[in-house]
Amino acid sequence: MPDQPGIDGYAVHLPAYALHDNRLDASGPPRPGGPVRSVAAYDEDTVTMAVEAMRQLTAAGHVGRQLLLATTSAPYEAKTSAGVVHAALGLDPAVSAVDLRGHRCGATALDLVACSGAAAMMADLRTTRPGAPDELAQGDGAAAFVGGGTRAATLLARAGHTTEILERWRLPGERHDRVWDERFTADVLVTAGLDAARRAFTLASLDTVDEVVVSSSNARAAAALRRTLGGSGADAKVERATGFTGAAHPALLLAAALDEAQPGRTILLLSATEGADAFVWRVGDEVRAARGGASVREQLAARRPVGYGRYLRWRGLLEVQGPARPASPAPASPPMVRRSGWKFRLEGSRCAACAKVTTPPAKVCASCGTAASGQTPATVPLRDKTARVVSVTTDHLTTMPEPAVAVVVADVDGGGRLSMYATDVAPGDVAVGMAMTPTFRRLWTTDSIHNYFWKLRPRKEATDGQ
Amino acid sequence: MASRRMAHDVAIVAMGCTPFRDHWHRSADDLLVDAVHECVGSLSGATLDDVDAFWVGTQGSGMSGQTLARPLRLVGKPVTRVENYCATGSESLRNAAFAVASGAYDMVMATGVEKLKDSAYSGLAAVYPPADGTDVDWTAPAGFSLLAPAYQQAYGVGARDMRDALTKVAMKNHENGALNERAQFRKAVSAEAVENAPRVAGQLGVLDCSGVSDGAAAAILVRAEDAYRYTDKPVFLRGMGFVAGSGAGLATDGYDFTTFPEVVQAARQAYDQAGVTDPATQISLAEVHDCFTPTEVVLMEDLGFSERGKAWRDILDGRYDLGGALPVNTDGGLKSFGHPIGATGLRMMFECFTQLRGAAGARQVPDARLALAQNLGGQPGSCVAFVAVLGSQR
Repeated sequence: MPDQPGIDGYAVHLPAYALHDNRLDASGPPRPGGPVRSVAAYDEDTVTMAVEAMRQLTAAGHVGRQLLLATTSAPYEAKTSAGVVHAALGLDPAVSAVDLRGHRCGATALDLVACSGAAAMMADLRTTRPGAPDELAQGDGAAAFVGGGTRAATLLARAGHTTEILERWRLPGERHDRVWDERFTADVLVTAGLDAARRAFTLASLDTVDEVVVSSSNARAAAALRRTLGGSGADAKVERATGFTGAAHPALLLAAALDEAQPGRTILLLSATEGADAFVWRVGDEVRAARGGASVREQLAARRPVGYGRYLRWRGLLEVQGPARPASPAPASPPMVRRSGWKFRLEGSRCAACAKVTTPPAKVCASCGTAASGQTPATVPLRDKTARVVSVTTDHLTTMPEPAVAVVVADVDGGGRLSMYATDVAPGDVAVGMAMTPTFRRLWTTDSIHNYFWKLRPRKEATDGQ
Repeated sequence: MASRRMAHDVAIVAMGCTPFRDHWHRSADDLLVDAVHECVGSLSGATLDDVDAFWVGTQGSGMSGQTLARPLRLVGKPVTRVENYCATGSESLRNAAFAVASGAYDMVMATGVEKLKDSAYSGLAAVYPPADGTDVDWTAPAGFSLLAPAYQQAYGVGARDMRDALTKVAMKNHENGALNERAQFRKAVSAEAVENAPRVAGQLGVLDCSGVSDGAAAAILVRAEDAYRYTDKPVFLRGMGFVAGSGAGLATDGYDFTTFPEVVQAARQAYDQAGVTDPATQISLAEVHDCFTPTEVVLMEDLGFSERGKAWRDILDGRYDLGGALPVNTDGGLKSFGHPIGATGLRMMFECFTQLRGAAGARQVPDARLALAQNLGGQPGSCVAFVAVLGSQR
């Protein structure tokens, strides 16, 4: 247990794409000012988004005793998703990996971060049936929070309110939530939310806060709670640009508030889903340094639009004839364990004799042929390096849900060569010499096995002065 | 490090090669039997029983030496199956040559076969061992298409010039294949057809790619001193080199995708053994591994036919045309003759054999004395490479 409950670091991963229009036969531009949903690329899922969020923090040395992944859309049933993230982050095996499930688990994860010093990712990937009224009101994204300190915020009080209610649900194997009449569920959630908020205020000995942040699976409840609690509307503005991001949503909106908040200010975070959870925070003096990666505002501004047809194909909601080509092979369990340093942590081996890097790591140096003494050669992490394109091609026969994907061979600054798929870039825009960075993605799924590995995406230039 | 000429010189005294086709109604067994029978049938004074040992190359159309022993019902004969990617056919011949040169056998046969068209796919579909899933699922054209942008960048070749050179390679090889009744595609193609073909990978369209087909080929080898007992026109194996690359080109930085270092090394071995000092002028014709059009461009430089950075220009100038100074892929090459993996290396030998015996008809290169066969497999940065020099004289 930390001396003082709080948040020591946080980061957000918003996918590079946004969907503005879900009309099948659009004949004009979308309604101006309408809702926009955040869209994970075809090669992202809650595991990969969680990795992208948390790697911003673990790179700075934040590691808790437990790694939690909170989501309503885990890529596997039964198998723990947090374990894949744990491997990709290269965490100490003594750190446990645990999944939390259900709409309320995002708030629970924040509670465990603040009060137990855990590290948590809240990630979700949300779909509806095409054309559903709330299709643009759901979204994809991830946030990562680590406890064990109070650089970002101190938790002044928390209060929960459990209500069993049939609001959003689905059976195992189903893709989209079923939703009860939201007027009824809003009524229940507003009651629960106000009760939790009132008790949290009392515990914190406060009558009011500087900023109110409300997250709810029910948009009507969110609007009512914001109005009643006197929110500024900043949370609603972010939500209108991303959609409701499920288990990630309370953390995403809190991160957006922390991005802008001045040290010493107080924030109420109220999550109203399956009851309610209220948290009262005081913003920490080191809140700017506590953030990993780019701000929510910057990530929103850097997105590019994706067309509705492409979105439907990415999500598997529109089946498109692919090439006459066998499915890409499923990975096998023993080789994944033997080469976990390469597959999950993207480590090459560095030759003790010539210092050149060999990928994948190998006992014998690819450059000078010297065999490493001992069982394993020295490894060198490549996942946070810049790699420059040596040559590039476009695979027009890809089995991925895109007409074509770029494949690059790129040399890592400081040594090492990577042959990888490029992502988050139009194939024709990749040129020899381009600077790229590794990003953890799902390559394909064959025989019910998700094949995770790294891809390369164009290097993002730092724009936030960090 | 030694790569010497063999203790005994070796000659090819007979060959067979099926047409390369969509052989919907013939199995790999049928194709092997046809190639072997054509080969043995052209031999005077010997039968299949006189062959002491056999090699069969196939990438995926059979396992073990029984791939050949069973269809031919060979009794009491040693048969070795070899595999070395798309250089499998050459590997079959190389090992057979060593066996007869060693004195262990007097007469050996090298065969190669591939049945690609039963797979329901238009490209190659190999089966690899279980792995960790971190390799790019390359198509063959995607791997080889990395050559073009790197070559353009290295030598400042504009997009139009590069495209023209690639188109010329395709047109030339189809033109040659049109003269060859055994070729898969026996018709010339226009520049428009090549350049408007559906894209497959990078700059490459369908007509930048070799034909996928079924076929088999066979050769009988004896020691050179015995050759004239079986034919008036033996063809002599003057030199050969083979290199299995370390894969360093994809495993560490440095390799720039403008060359196949494995081919350069294999060619040096073959030229040394054959006494070739200036391949650009001494070689009469060459069969090279034009799996994709950029491959042929780069190979002209790796084999010493063109200066570095100049092959694209030489190709456009017609140097490698059938009537040019150094005709390349006179039988149509992989491009139009087709590419049944295990048979291709021996198909290249078959054209060299035919040309050096003056039997190539409309495709005949006048006064052909030295022919080169170059076969490779894998992909740029990580490949296996075979080069042989064959001569009409010992």
